[in-house]
Amino acid sequence: MSKKPAKGEYIETDTGNKVSRKCQIVGSTNIILGGKTIIQAEVIIRGDLIRTLPSSRSASSGAAQSNVAVAIGRYCFFSTGSALRPPGKLFQGQFSHYPLKIGDHVYVGPSSVVEAALIGNHVHIGQGCVIGKFAIIKDFVKILDGTIIPPNMVIPSFSIVGGRPGRVVGEIPEGGHEAFDLRELYKTIKNS
Amino acid sequence: MSSSKRASTMPAGPKPPTSLASTLIIADNATLTGTNLITIGASTIVHPRTRISCVHAPVTIGSSCILSERSSIGFQSSPSGEDQGRGVVIENGVVVEIGAIVEASRIGEGSLIEVNAKVGKGAVLGKHCKIGPLCTVAEGEVLPDFTVVFGNGQRRIDSSGAQELKLKMVGRQVEVLRKLIPSNLAKFQ
Repeated sequence: MSKKPAKGEYIETDTGNKVSRKCQIVGSTNIILGGKTIIQAEVIIRGDLIRTLPSSRSASSGAAQSNVAVAIGRYCFFSTGSALRPPGKLFQGQFSHYPLKIGDHVYVGPSSVVEAALIGNHVHIGQGCVIGKFAIIKDFVKILDGTIIPPNMVIPSFSIVGGRPGRVVGEIPEGGHEAFDLRELYKTIKNS
Repeated sequence: MSSSKRASTMPAGPKPPTSLASTLIIADNATLTGTNLITIGASTIVHPRTRISCVHAPVTIGSSCILSERSSIGFQSSPSGEDQGRGVVIENGVVVEIGAIVEASRIGEGSLIEVNAKVGKGAVLGKHCKIGPLCTVAEGEVLPDFTVVFGNGQRRIDSSGAQELKLKMVGRQVEVLRKLIPSNLAKFQ
């Protein structure tokens, strides 16, 4: 309180998230950051696109409907110019957006656009990728630069995906999963 | 908090002349720049950070369109012929996804411009066209109705006959987005 922190590029939260002052977050009350996540400049996150259709599960149990639009785990890294947006579809005649869930240690490269339904842990998304609506990406997946993941695609664990449209082109070799750890990358981002 | 820094991020240019329908939803931090006329029809949704530029030519957008964040609508250089004098004309029910660049002379009804696609200057798209993600349409190119551009620039004609359903879906999407996106129409009038 007494000592005003120096004004750097990033705003650091109590849980260690580093959020650039130049990022473009809309609807921040509907976004959950797990901690130690880095959001670089000009990243767009659309938290305002919440679910408008009540889910059958919460309606039956009578629980208060959670308004989470984007849930992000720990040690994620969103590069400059990437965009996260909850996917939307028509279901039983009504249009609604659905939450975008992202696990831990997920890297999203510069100017990639993510509209997936679910991204697992330890996923590397390259530069200029487009992840289509309602895609499901499991754990330890590497998506090469410039890949277009078509809508509704399910990518199994330990895949390497590339091309337009994206296809599984290889497998993560044994022992190769250590490269997905983003803790070192987190440490390199300093508030200068 | 230095006030000079704040001022530099908001260039105080004159507002472009606009003709906006009263039921238009336009987010607070969309940007309209230029000196030509911008016309936007009823029930259209303009997401935050959409850029509409009428610096070089007018922009006309129909009703029930969805313009997503970071998309860029309008000529980025002077029109190079009399047929381009009308600028960009987007018909009803067109969806422009994130980061797409639209410089087309005309985009037909119900077309879909996907993520980061680019439609070159003066191109003419027929009705119900679909330009896939990262695909490009060259300057001045003319695409017939129902054209689908996909992959690395392959073309085909969509004969599924689902265009009515797609228009309906866009309508439903507009209804939901109307509730979710706070509009600040007064700022742009």
